[in-house]
Amino acid sequence: MSVKAWLKERFPIDYDKFIEINENIFIKEPIPIHMKKWWYCMGATPLILFTLQVLTGIFLAFYFVPSPEMAYESVRHITQDVRFGFWVRGLHRWGANLMILSLFLHITRVYFTRSYQKPREINWILGVILFGLALTFSFTGYSLTYNQLSYWAVTVGTNLIKSVPIIGHSLLVFMRGGEEVTANTLTRFYMLHVWFLPLFLVFFLVLHIIVLRLHGVSEPEGFPKGKYFPFYPHHFYKIIIATLFLLAVMSALSIILPPGIGLPADPTTTPFHIKPEWYFYPTYRFLRMVPLKVGIYVTAAFLIAFTFWPFIEPLLSKKNSVRRNISYGVGALTLIITLALTIWESLT
Amino acid sequence: MINEENQKRRSFLKNFGIIGALLIAVGLFFRDLWLYLYPPKRKKKFHKYLVAKLNSVPLGKAKEITLGNDPVFVVHLDQGYRVFSGICTHLGCHVRWEEEKQRFFCPCHKGVYDKTGKVISGPPPRPLDQFKVEEDKNLVYIYVETKTRGPWS
Amino acid sequence: MDTVKGQQWLIGIFSTLLIVILIIVAGMEMKKSESTKPEIEIDKTTAQCITCHEDKGIAVKQIDAWKESKHAVMGIGCYECHEAKKGDFDAFTCTGSNILVARHPTPKDCGKCHEQQVKEFANSKHAHQFWLLKNGDRAAFEFPMATRHGCEECHQIGNIWPDGSVGECDACHAKHSFSLSVARQPETCGECHVGPDHPQIEEYIESKHGNIFKAKGKNWDMGYSTTNHEQIPIEAPVCVTCHMDGNKTQPMTHNVSARLATESQAPWSFRTVWDQEHLGDWKKKRERMEEICASCHAPDFYKMYFLNADMVNLQYDEIRRAFVHWTTKLTKNGTIKRLKYKGKYWSNPVLNGWDELPEHEMYYGWHHEGRRFRMGAEMMAADYTQWHGIWEIQEDLTELIKWAAEHGDAEAKKIVNTNDPRKFITYALYDVPGTEWGIPTKTNTTPFVYQAFPDYWDRIYKNVETVYKRGLISEDQWNLWLKRYKNRDYYLGLKYANSPQVDSTWNFYKKRNDIDFKAMKEQVIDLVLPGKNFYNNK
Repeated sequence: MSVKAWLKERFPIDYDKFIEINENIFIKEPIPIHMKKWWYCMGATPLILFTLQVLTGIFLAFYFVPSPEMAYESVRHITQDVRFGFWVRGLHRWGANLMILSLFLHITRVYFTRSYQKPREINWILGVILFGLALTFSFTGYSLTYNQLSYWAVTVGTNLIKSVPIIGHSLLVFMRGGEEVTANTLTRFYMLHVWFLPLFLVFFLVLHIIVLRLHGVSEPEGFPKGKYFPFYPHHFYKIIIATLFLLAVMSALSIILPPGIGLPADPTTTPFHIKPEWYFYPTYRFLRMVPLKVGIYVTAAFLIAFTFWPFIEPLLSKKNSVRRNISYGVGALTLIITLALTIWESLT
Repeated sequence: MINEENQKRRSFLKNFGIIGALLIAVGLFFRDLWLYLYPPKRKKKFHKYLVAKLNSVPLGKAKEITLGNDPVFVVHLDQGYRVFSGICTHLGCHVRWEEEKQRFFCPCHKGVYDKTGKVISGPPPRPLDQFKVEEDKNLVYIYVETKTRGPWS
Repeated sequence: MDTVKGQQWLIGIFSTLLIVILIIVAGMEMKKSESTKPEIEIDKTTAQCITCHEDKGIAVKQIDAWKESKHAVMGIGCYECHEAKKGDFDAFTCTGSNILVARHPTPKDCGKCHEQQVKEFANSKHAHQFWLLKNGDRAAFEFPMATRHGCEECHQIGNIWPDGSVGECDACHAKHSFSLSVARQPETCGECHVGPDHPQIEEYIESKHGNIFKAKGKNWDMGYSTTNHEQIPIEAPVCVTCHMDGNKTQPMTHNVSARLATESQAPWSFRTVWDQEHLGDWKKKRERMEEICASCHAPDFYKMYFLNADMVNLQYDEIRRAFVHWTTKLTKNGTIKRLKYKGKYWSNPVLNGWDELPEHEMYYGWHHEGRRFRMGAEMMAADYTQWHGIWEIQEDLTELIKWAAEHGDAEAKKIVNTNDPRKFITYALYDVPGTEWGIPTKTNTTPFVYQAFPDYWDRIYKNVETVYKRGLISEDQWNLWLKRYKNRDYYLGLKYANSPQVDSTWNFYKKRNDIDFKAMKEQVIDLVLPGKNFYNNK
């Protein structure tokens, strides 16, 4: 009996149908012609990076010990003792940074090609949720190293939550597992980082891709409409190239700029210079510029507007050209402010 | 015809090269990840450890000292100093030195070793473990494996 | 590159790139070295000491220090050093036990393992009893309670113990960690080699060596061993680098006298004869020191440096000769008196005495200023040779002569009353044409002696030739001096003193000086305040 027949008996699936579906969904997936351009086809980058993060994350979990006594020491162990530990950690650290960077770029591209327009509003919102998850991922992951900076980032970060109206305090206690930053906080962050967030992220990621596939990739203005090419081999190759490129870049970065281990967390001494990771710079700078309450309300308002922009935009004008100009204007302004705040913060 | 075959060969070589490079890259990547899971074997290092002064153990006598919690016997034989681990090679009980009989005796299963550590009778499968001995001036040192502190060793 | 073929090429290219980078990663992995602290095994006796001491809270920090020591790793516990036999001078039964413990492990105990170091130390001047052999007189000036935690504390380094051994190892090797880094720290030497009479630590910090150490030394690992004839691992030397540590050619030694050629702490500077039978004569000792210098410097530089330093020592002797002339003369003719009690003298006209000014000045001119003058020149501490050195020595001598004149000495009166500047040089001179730092051009156009005495260099020549013939400088040094003497116009820079390019630079600053002076004159010298002098209303 052939292997195929043996398998067919155990898994009574219509293989021809399966292959057909596979071909329709993946191999022959119609990709609009503009995606032959490198600038328009990198939406898969965060996905590639996320996959690599899962892989390197699993490997880091082999050695990482989430306890206040051992967290820092185990990160040191990984970085200094374990074979290729510095590399695996470097990949994970740089993967996280590049993932956020690629998401920034992806969002900017989607916004300026206005791909969020009807009927794709929901997918934009899903994207925003994914971005929020990715940031939470980074914040929780960064905290696990349990060095001075990460410890105090947790302290400051969770303190901010307190200013959320009504539920602020209970949210703080929930995040910290008590009133103070303790071992509970560390295990909670660890739990979030390796269980909750991956589950949520995968769920929303699958939804994001399903919705994308249901509508097909949006075709921006300025390209011939209705022209497609199949997913394989052209786009498939692009993903392989991107993967190879990203691995090479991250490996190189882990040699040139290896992630340090810092000083072990010391709850009794706040370091002089305490800064979050670069992707929180705009928010951080802004919150320091204005009174805390104002800052939090304005940030919340921005987040709501940002999330529901696909629904807000049509209310602004009936004329497409006006809407486009407003969108471009608002987008450009947001981009400039974000960049300015980031640069400002990184220079101070 | 010839041209076509040439082209075929060339494109075969090209594909072979590209797929080869790809496979090597992926292979290297997973090799490194695989090695990551196996902590490196440390080279065993030894350091000198003072066990006795030359004249403090008379000929034919033994001095018991402790190394950590384990007994160690410094025996002064005609051939010079020998230093034995006091752990029975059978099941790890602590042996004792019986001076009148010039032998080591393990009370657990009646293992008997002579003064050079050789098994005379009883169940021990091999002689007592010996340390490398060095006499420096009027002091006797043994070489002890350097163990390190920490949760990873 | 948007064609499928182009993408295939890109896959190939990036695969290769990734391979290369992964190989570099693997290379980094190979180079990684691990450093871990060895676990210590505590034997039963030591464990007993530790438990009891920790229970009672007695000297527990010393236990922690011991745990950091190499002794702890090597199984050298408490009793290996603190072992005592009944009747030992320092034996006592440790409270709450029946263990006989030695309170003071002595060099004899250390020598059980560190035989060579103890022997070398005992043959060094650190172990010498000079301060007691010549101490009688100053004991009249300072009483025991004052010196207990004074003189005696530092000179404990050469203590003679009841067991006959000499020295105090932990004076430098701080117990109980016996850390090499601590022993090597310049401040360890500076615990004693400090202050007005032998400011070696201050001189070291003033030197380029010390400055580099201060700037960068905190990142240096000072715990290295120098017994294996390896290159000195630090960028600039600390005290022990030159005086004790080994290098590629020199063995490490605990005999600090092995590399010193001159007794420049003594009342008279002289070429050392300390333990000649083992260490060789002063030339041999100088050679050793030069071998250490050679780790970093060219012979050209350090030979010249030493020649200048040696000449400073010889010059000091000539100045001292003047001091001794006056104190001996004044003692002989009864102007000053030696201290005397029940037929025994307690001061010495050529060494000390503190109650009369000439004796006092002479003592300072040797024990304080005289040492600073000489040691500063040996250890690259210009300010100690200059302002804390020769300037004060000259003042001492001038004061002494003034005092003699006031007390009726005719010779002194003549000196005091003359307006001839030669009166400050009541002794013979040495000189070396130029410095090891380079060729000056204008510097040597100013000295009084160069201008006043046409036969100056002939006189210097005869002096230097004499000390060479006496063996106070080596043939090498004599030749080096001769070479400079013959080309002194070059080395003194006089050859270039009036060249157009030097003159043009010189004139630039001369003009600046005129401007400065003019400003000073206009701002303050010519200033007359209307408020007048309160004393005479002018």
